[in-house]
This record gives sequence, structure tokens and C-alpha cells, in this order.
Amino acid sequence: MILAERLSRAVADGVRRIGQIAILPDRAGVPFVLCHMDDEAGDFAALEVHEGPAAARGISTWAEDGHYRFTKGELSLRRGWRLHLASAEELLQALDAFYPANVGMHFAAVDGRLEIESLRDKLNRQTGMYRFARNLSDAGAQALVREVCGPGNCCVKKILWGLDAQTPLEDSEASRFDGVVGEIDRAAAIPLRCREACNHFVAEARKASKAEFERKAEA
Amino acid sequence: MPFTPKPDAALLIVGHGSTENPDSSTPYFDHADEIRRRGLFGEVHCCFWKEEPSMREAGYMIDRDEVYVVPDFISEGYFTQDVIPRELHLEGPTTVKGGKTWHYTLPVGVHASMTGLLLRRAREVAPDADPALTTLFIVGHGTGLNQNSTKAVKDQADRIKASGAGYAEVLDAYMEEQPFIADWDKLATTPNVVVVPFFIADGLHSYQDIPVLLGIESEPGEAASQREVFRQNPHALRGKTLYYSSAIGTERLIADVILDQVSDFDAKYHDPR
Repeated sequence: MILAERLSRAVADGVRRIGQIAILPDRAGVPFVLCHMDDEAGDFAALEVHEGPAAARGISTWAEDGHYRFTKGELSLRRGWRLHLASAEELLQALDAFYPANVGMHFAAVDGRLEIESLRDKLNRQTGMYRFARNLSDAGAQALVREVCGPGNCCVKKILWGLDAQTPLEDSEASRFDGVVGEIDRAAAIPLRCREACNHFVAEARKASKAEFERKAEA
Repeated sequence: MPFTPKPDAALLIVGHGSTENPDSSTPYFDHADEIRRRGLFGEVHCCFWKEEPSMREAGYMIDRDEVYVVPDFISEGYFTQDVIPRELHLEGPTTVKGGKTWHYTLPVGVHASMTGLLLRRAREVAPDADPALTTLFIVGHGTGLNQNSTKAVKDQADRIKASGAGYAEVLDAYMEEQPFIADWDKLATTPNVVVVPFFIADGLHSYQDIPVLLGIESEPGEAASQREVFRQNPHALRGKTLYYSSAIGTERLIADVILDQVSDFDAKYHDPR
């Protein structure tokens, strides 16, 4: 079944949430409406109306305070808008802009075919100045997950990877988070999934690795 | 030649992206939107090295069994020859894996049709400058690490020279390799100079670094999307009249070059469909 149809069926079966977005089927004569989950119960008519999936990138690029949301799982989606979508294909395209590839990864996970990449896989493939990130120690990597990932650090993806195939992440708020924002029946949400460490984590891993190197040099 | 629609295939545009600057990926999304608008592929997606979705995540977005992968990069080099094939598990021009057939085209920057876009951009930015009194610079990044990184720039400069466009000089120049664009006033002998950055995005290099090398600005300014006032051409600098354009990749018609690379791929490896 193609992804858009599968998504449409999931919505028909009750899925209403992905990340910070509320999915509203058949609202005011529109097949699918998206809005910020915190705007769903407010003055719906007052929300700024956008039409079509191409608007999703503009809505999701900048946070309320003006910073660039370079990781899409960041808990900083701005409020005050609603996006009207004419079909399941448009819904999928919009969700792929808000949370890239997440719908496809969700169904792949449901089917048991989502491939996970360990942190070491990811760091060992970095190029240029990010090559240094691979030198980060295991202890440094575990600490960095607590400092960079999870809702406490504004990322609301469920982390699926470990340090390597044998080394899971240590228990923390970040490693426990299930990828669903807010109080909602988990069956009514598509979790955000983190199948590989993001480039923000890689950049932080480089910094942490350099700091480790400098500490060793001073010792 | 008009592009034959491929409703049963997906197009995957691959870009570099940035964790610092959203302007770095805007052109790729614009190119994807343009091709989507024309309805030429069953699906059109983007993926990146430094943004989401990653190349490894991109496959999860794609339904169609046939995928054309087009690197929206300027030159053939480390990214197009090593990183992209490795990340997407491509083993040659065509790879069959995971129930899908993946076709890997050449990057947009090496296609001959890019020449027309560069010329068009040069004319747009300096409509009043007489080509006979004008030097046109095509500017690339350049790196001592990879000779291929300058080849695409040199090739386009040569094609423009051969095109009969009438410029007094057409020169290639680089940020980090000789001839340096910082020496533009010494390299050019004409009173007018037009500089077109041969980059996909108006990111750090073309929007912030090159203006400093040219002398338009004394230090790197804010990103394009953070500015309220756009730069005004021409600039009277170093005894010449300088016109500086935005990166060539911001041209929406790069969509045509992407389609040209797909058509060329089919002509080379497939029977026409």
C-alpha cells in the first residue's frame, strides 16, 4: 500500500498527533487540517490559514523567538497557524516537511524493517572537520546524550540507536522518551523516531571530543 | 526536447544542507517544488548530508520502485563520487536494492545547459553593462584537495567564452585556490566586472564570504534570510563598476537542469521511454 493511503487509513483509525502537530480530518470542509497541538482547543478561526503542503517548510523553519530550527524534532514549533491540505498525498508531503521521513519510518518500524544506525556508525562516516567526532569516548557519548537529547533539551524524538550494536544508551530521560508529545493516547499518535544521531549531535560530539583531547593533553 | 513524464518513478534531489543556515537548503526545496508543480514525476523528494531527512532516511519516504537520484551539486568530486554513493548504497549508475531500482545521474553543475543559466544571470544582474567592456567571473570554492572541484567552473567559463555572448573576458576564479577572486580587480582589465557565484545556495560562501573577498563588505554579514535590506548593484570599487549576483542555484530554472541530467542518464543507459 502506498504511504499516503496508509497514512490516510491510520488517520481514519484515530491517529491525531505527530510531534507537536494535531491532525484534524474533515474540519470545516477541508479533508485534512494541521495545527499546533496547543492551538487545537483555542480560537480556531483566529489561526492564520495556509493552503497546501509547500507552506509547511516556512512554518517550521523558524521558532517563535526567531532561531533556526535545524533539528526538526526540536520542541519549538511556532503556534498561530493552520494548514489546509486537500488530499492524503498533501498530508504526507506536509508531514514530511515538518518531520522529514517520519511517517515512512513509522510504517517501516511497524513492519519491522526500519534500519537503525549506531552512534559509532554515524560518527565514523563523518568527513572534514567533523571527522574528529569519532574520537569521542563511550563515557563522553553517554554524557552527551543526556546533555543534548530528550525533551529536557528540547528534542522530542524517540532515540532508537545505541553507541554500537552491543552498547545501549544508559537510562535517562532522553533514552526513555517515547517520541510522543503531551498527554494523548499513544495509539492516537505517530511517534517521532531518531534512527541515527542528528547532525546537531555530531557537531556537539566533535566539540566534546576536542575537549576530551585537550584535557588529556593538559594532564 | 520536452521531458517525458515519469509518473511511475520518484526523483530524489540530494543537497548538502547546513545546521547553521536555512538558506543553504532553500534552493533544493524550490527546485523540488518546481518539478512537482510540473507533475513530471510520481514523487519528488529532497535529502541532505547536513539536514533532515538524511540520505539514509530518504528511502523511507519513497513509494515508487524506480528512483532517479540527482546530486544538486556543482562539481563531480568527493561528495558525488564518495559520500552520496556510500550513504545511499549505490554501486554504479544503476543499483537494484531493497526492491527498488536506483539511477544515479551526474551533478547539475556539469551539465551543458547550466551555461545558459549562468549567462542569463549575468545579463540580469548587469542589464546596462556593455559585454564588450565587461569581464564575467564564474566563481567556485576551489580546494587544493581535489582537482575536480575546479573543473566544472573552468568548463562553464570555457563554454561561455565559446558561446559568442560577447564578454571581453570570461574568467574562472576561486575562494581558496588560484586565481583568487579576491584579486578580481587585478585579473580584470575592463571597467565593468560581473561576478556570478557558481554555488547552489546563497549560504555562507556566496552570501557572506565572497562579498568580503570582493571588498563589498568589510566583514561577513548576516545570512540572506536574516537581512532586511538586500544589496544594491552596482558597486563602485577599486576603480571599477562591480555587479555581484546571487548564487546560480537560486535560479528556479535549475529544475530544467535536473531534468536534463535525468534525460541524459536515460539516453546513455536506457532505451528512451
